[in-house]
Amino acid sequence: MDADKLINDYIDRTSPRLMVTLPLIVLLLSLGVLAFHAYTSPENLPMALGMEFTGGTVITIDTDETPQQLLNEFSDFPIVNVREAKEYGNRKLLQFSTMDDARQKRLNQIIDQKYSGADIKHVGEIFGRALQQEAVRLVSYSFLLMAILVFLFFRTVVPSIAVILSAFSDIVFAAAMMDVVGMSLSMGTVAALLMLIGYSVDTDILLTTRLLKRTGELKMKIREAMKTGLTMTLTTLAALVVLFAVSTGAYLIVPSFSRIDIVSDISTVLIFGLLADILNTWMLNTGILRLYLQRRGEAA
Amino acid sequence: MNRKAMKRMAARATQPTEAEPQLKNDFRVLIWVLAIAGALLVIFSPVLISSDLGTGIKYGLDLDGGTWLQLQLQGAVVQAGADESKIIRQEYERLLGTAITVTDVSSNRITFMFNGTAPKETIDSPGYGSSSINVSDNRTSVTLSTTKQQVLQKFLSNRLGTEVVFTQRRDELAYEIRSNVTEESLNSLLAPVGGKVTYFSDAVTAKTRDDTKVILDRKLNGLGLKEIPIRPIGDKYLLIDLAGVYNLAEAESIAATPGKFEIRIQVEGNRTEHVLYGEQIQDVGVPKVNDRGSWGVPFTLKPEGAVALRDTAMKYNATKEPDKHELIMYLDNMVIFNATMADSLAAQMQRAPVSDLEANTGGKDAATKLQIHLRAGALPVSLKVVGSGQVSATLGEQFKLQLLIAGIVAVIAVAIIVALRYRRRRIILPMLATSTSEVIIILGFASLPPVAWLPFVGWQLDLASITGIIAVVGTGIDHLIIITDEVLHGGRLPPIKIYRMRVLKAFSIILMAAATVFVALAPLYFLGFGALKGFAITTIIGVVVGVGIARPAYARLIHESLKGEMAVAEEEEADE
Repeated sequence: MDADKLINDYIDRTSPRLMVTLPLIVLLLSLGVLAFHAYTSPENLPMALGMEFTGGTVITIDTDETPQQLLNEFSDFPIVNVREAKEYGNRKLLQFSTMDDARQKRLNQIIDQKYSGADIKHVGEIFGRALQQEAVRLVSYSFLLMAILVFLFFRTVVPSIAVILSAFSDIVFAAAMMDVVGMSLSMGTVAALLMLIGYSVDTDILLTTRLLKRTGELKMKIREAMKTGLTMTLTTLAALVVLFAVSTGAYLIVPSFSRIDIVSDISTVLIFGLLADILNTWMLNTGILRLYLQRRGEAA
Repeated sequence: MNRKAMKRMAARATQPTEAEPQLKNDFRVLIWVLAIAGALLVIFSPVLISSDLGTGIKYGLDLDGGTWLQLQLQGAVVQAGADESKIIRQEYERLLGTAITVTDVSSNRITFMFNGTAPKETIDSPGYGSSSINVSDNRTSVTLSTTKQQVLQKFLSNRLGTEVVFTQRRDELAYEIRSNVTEESLNSLLAPVGGKVTYFSDAVTAKTRDDTKVILDRKLNGLGLKEIPIRPIGDKYLLIDLAGVYNLAEAESIAATPGKFEIRIQVEGNRTEHVLYGEQIQDVGVPKVNDRGSWGVPFTLKPEGAVALRDTAMKYNATKEPDKHELIMYLDNMVIFNATMADSLAAQMQRAPVSDLEANTGGKDAATKLQIHLRAGALPVSLKVVGSGQVSATLGEQFKLQLLIAGIVAVIAVAIIVALRYRRRRIILPMLATSTSEVIIILGFASLPPVAWLPFVGWQLDLASITGIIAVVGTGIDHLIIITDEVLHGGRLPPIKIYRMRVLKAFSIILMAAATVFVALAPLYFLGFGALKGFAITTIIGVVVGVGIARPAYARLIHESLKGEMAVAEEEEADE
């Protein structure tokens, strides 16, 4: 198979230093994107917050009214915009910022009376803020627990840090790409980031175990690990790409289908994360381990 | 004899002693088969029991449609200290408009003095404790029998205008404040009386939360719903799913109304006196319309309620002069009905307590709501709607179909990649079979009836959970690839001893990988705000099922499958 030859060539011809440098540049660029976003956005946060975190109301209704008509109709309420999006069929998306309880109540009543089958989603500002803290807590706990576990598994400093660094890189890249494509942080994307924390270390664990705990020639071990690991990542990517396509673009083929936001969000973040994982496992982590083993070999 | 033949003979000779147990006797395979069979049974049990063409799978609101509410319990638990003599002095000086001196403080009594006199009614009105009053030389001495804790409780309650009850926190006395307060506001309230807050939590006690849950459940049942899942999230929030309800405004107004019912009687002008609260109502009838076209709710008072009503009415002579004293009914401090008693009712009450009354609300909707609140009783704390939503059922149906298609196509895509890599049916088929079995077993767990003390069974599959299943299948296939590559290292099935060792090696990697997924998602399960619990549960169960049931069976299946291939290969060799 040609893939075998490619893998061989890659391992034989790439110096460990180059393997480490390239992903580190990508990591720095990703951090740069996040920093840029934090610098330019009004909230000074590295990522845009979705409505679940900022609070507000989103209403989806089936109507023939034009966006302009709808804007006028709801001018009593803090309406931010009306979107007419093909991916949601003949539906209009009305977005409101937070409002007081009385107005919220009135809005619900109007929608109840005028439009049947409406989708309403309302998050209070205080609850949204509580969710923000919750999300930060979740991601930090999750990452910390993963890191502790990795240290317990390998009990050596450099290989453990290599695994944790490459997981960190995956997440930073996924977050940066969310900024680039204009996605905002929702509970769905937070769940995807958590999944990524747990899942992106799979191939790193495979690599580290094979290189540290097995006997045999180093390049040979890397090659075998890479064959297994790339198959793993490719199967998962295949499933995720299908999931993304069906949840995001199926309406192009079957007009009655519509976009499934949460599924689309989760699959997008995981795809970015796994793409980064290929780079970080087979360049960054592999490079660090090669340098580490070389040095250990020289010391011995 | 050539070397190949010798090897073959050696292999055959060792086979009987060193072989794995027969497939059907292998406990790993047995558990796996039982799990699949059990899961299928659970999933399709509705078909078997009621010949109803459904499955045991319960879908979440985002797939089945309905309304959801996220409610915040308005309250706080605090521990605080204050100088009780300062409280008494400050509060009675405000009340009496004169300087007072606290002369004695003991553990169950406080005595204070002031110049002049005041009626006992006034002195008792703040409710700090029962008083005994001595007047001499135009100087009054009041002894309140009360405790330090009661004084503070009453002080907070009076000043905040809300109920304050005693509770425990870590075996120490604490106060539960049943309205929304902040630590700062409490501290500024306590500072003038030499006190401060030592512990503050803006959540209510678990008991208050559960009481609220029970009453809310009854109220929502009044909307004509059964089995409403109300899930507490911490001690601060309640999450409610109203499946099949598409009336967000109505659901919100029921949940966000505490429903505290009070009857007061008009003394004169604007002055009214409390008669009774909703707790004194024993029985509530159905709303009905009277001959003037006005709706009302009939209800029956408990005997003590009827006595209280009669006593208060007679105190102000309302039974004899009914036209001078209105009977006023309040719901959450808003007047819902006020009218003078009918002459016949007044006459009847003059003779004996009357327990059958009617609250005339006018409109039908108001009557229905009042009925709900009277039946269910008042919520211990108010609830604030912090999040809510409504999902239409038609969109959910579409999503289900879309996700089914996504699932099938995803399996095909994975199969193609696996096929390209291994190019052997004897590997690909067991792999896909194992993977499919994981999905079935997860769905089986989800379809079990929910058990209160066993959180990992019987959950609702919402969009996030289904995405979780697909993600788990993705990681599952990965683990099967690890096992396959480990076992087949060098391309062929190794002798049984080496095979076993390699399976162990593969599992050491798989277990580590599964553990990281587990710890990464555990926080979401334990801390999560509800919306993504399904995702966490699905993923965690998926990992456990995969590592514990499906993957061990796969390790055995792949051996059996490849053993067959070897036998075929050997026969081909022999034929040459």
